[in-house]
Amino acid sequence: MTSIKIKNLNAYYGEKQVLKEINLDIGEKRVTAIIGPSGCGKSTLLRCINRMNDFIDIFRAEGEIDIDDKDIMQMDPVLLRKQVGMVFQKPNPFPKTIFENVAWGPKIHGTKDKSTLNKIVNNSLKQAALWDEVKGRLKDNALGLSGGQQQRLCIARALAVSPEVILLDEPCSALDPVSTAKIEDLIVALKKHYTIVIVTHNMQQAARVSDNTAFLLNGDLIEYSDTDTLFETPKDKRTEDYITGRFG
Amino acid sequence: MVRKGFEKELRKLEDSVIEMAETAKKSIDTSVESLKKKDVKLAKETIALEKEMDKNSLDIENRCMRLTALQQPVAKDLRFIASMLKISDTLERVGDYAGKIAKITIKTKDKPLAKPLIDIPKMAELSKEMIDIDIEAIRSKKVEGIEEKLTQRDDVIDNLYEQIYKELLMMMFERPQIISDATDLIFVGRYLERIGDLACKVANRTIYMVDGRRTLIK
Repeated sequence: MTSIKIKNLNAYYGEKQVLKEINLDIGEKRVTAIIGPSGCGKSTLLRCINRMNDFIDIFRAEGEIDIDDKDIMQMDPVLLRKQVGMVFQKPNPFPKTIFENVAWGPKIHGTKDKSTLNKIVNNSLKQAALWDEVKGRLKDNALGLSGGQQQRLCIARALAVSPEVILLDEPCSALDPVSTAKIEDLIVALKKHYTIVIVTHNMQQAARVSDNTAFLLNGDLIEYSDTDTLFETPKDKRTEDYITGRFG
Repeated sequence: MVRKGFEKELRKLEDSVIEMAETAKKSIDTSVESLKKKDVKLAKETIALEKEMDKNSLDIENRCMRLTALQQPVAKDLRFIASMLKISDTLERVGDYAGKIAKITIKTKDKPLAKPLIDIPKMAELSKEMIDIDIEAIRSKKVEGIEEKLTQRDDVIDNLYEQIYKELLMMMFERPQIISDATDLIFVGRYLERIGDLACKVANRTIYMVDGRRTLIK
């Protein structure tokens, strides 16, 4: 399985430095939460892991991110993003059928055989805990699903290309408590097979689902430890002030 | 509840727990004094204090539960609320022991003491001192040296109890007619010895509240 090592990572948008000397070891088959106030660099850090920031002209990064000891800067970004799936804040299904949404990734990576695609779609929807709700209507338009179902569909879409790492950027911020609970259960279930990194503003969510938590502030990694310790006895006063709501 | 309101609730919670600790001290005083003077009025006052502490403990528990449910506290806020909950429960038990001493006063009101009270008031004084140390630590959030201060006093209390126990046992051998009264005094010694232990438990919780350390004084 897959561990991620981030070494001396510095990131910039133009002149502005948004990540400063980040060193982070993300354990395999664990859920790692990244928390911090708005603008602290947590989403930028997450997007560095699958080089999503490459699409931004003014963005540049220094340092190294190794996935399974391979420097991601040396990898083909398309293959990297197959290995490192991502789910965004707002569910973003394609305006196509539920089946096509999930089959899309495997298809562009070369899977043409219909029975193989069927199997992948079934398995992915099952893993994303959505199968029972959509099995009778795979040909319906995905936009007809509820917000929570759409987000689980996006997770199924990410799983369909057999990634090793899943990045979740505020996956529940647009969802109601019931849908949030389903996604959280799903995250905990998925860590048996995947390395998961989640960015969340919801402190309780980080506490509920993650094994490790990193606290970022103004681009600095202030504290990184197991989640229990960070939420019970944080070492740094800035972490304590943030998680207890005294700033941020 | 906005953040300021939460802060205010936490401060009020601390005030209530400190008030309970002061009541616990008072109940130790009145219970031992009632025994010394065979004063039923003071004994009843102690029992009233015990009931007041039961009520206050429940009130603190309710407030802690409400704050936990509504504010979802973490880190020092969580440690603070959890500690206040446990400390109020521990102080309520101090009230129970003082109440037990008061009940012995009422039961034996017409009988003389098996022996003059010398060590028992000393034990009461030490246990009050220990609660004072706890109160100061809760207020100041400073716990340096608290373990030593409490251990030292608790050791003296334990030795005094041992001494009372042996002395009364000898007296019972010599004068079997005082067995019942002497047993009551042994119980009083035992209750005060337990109160000393409870003061240590309060300190354990205070240390956890302040810096997250899990300690086991005594």
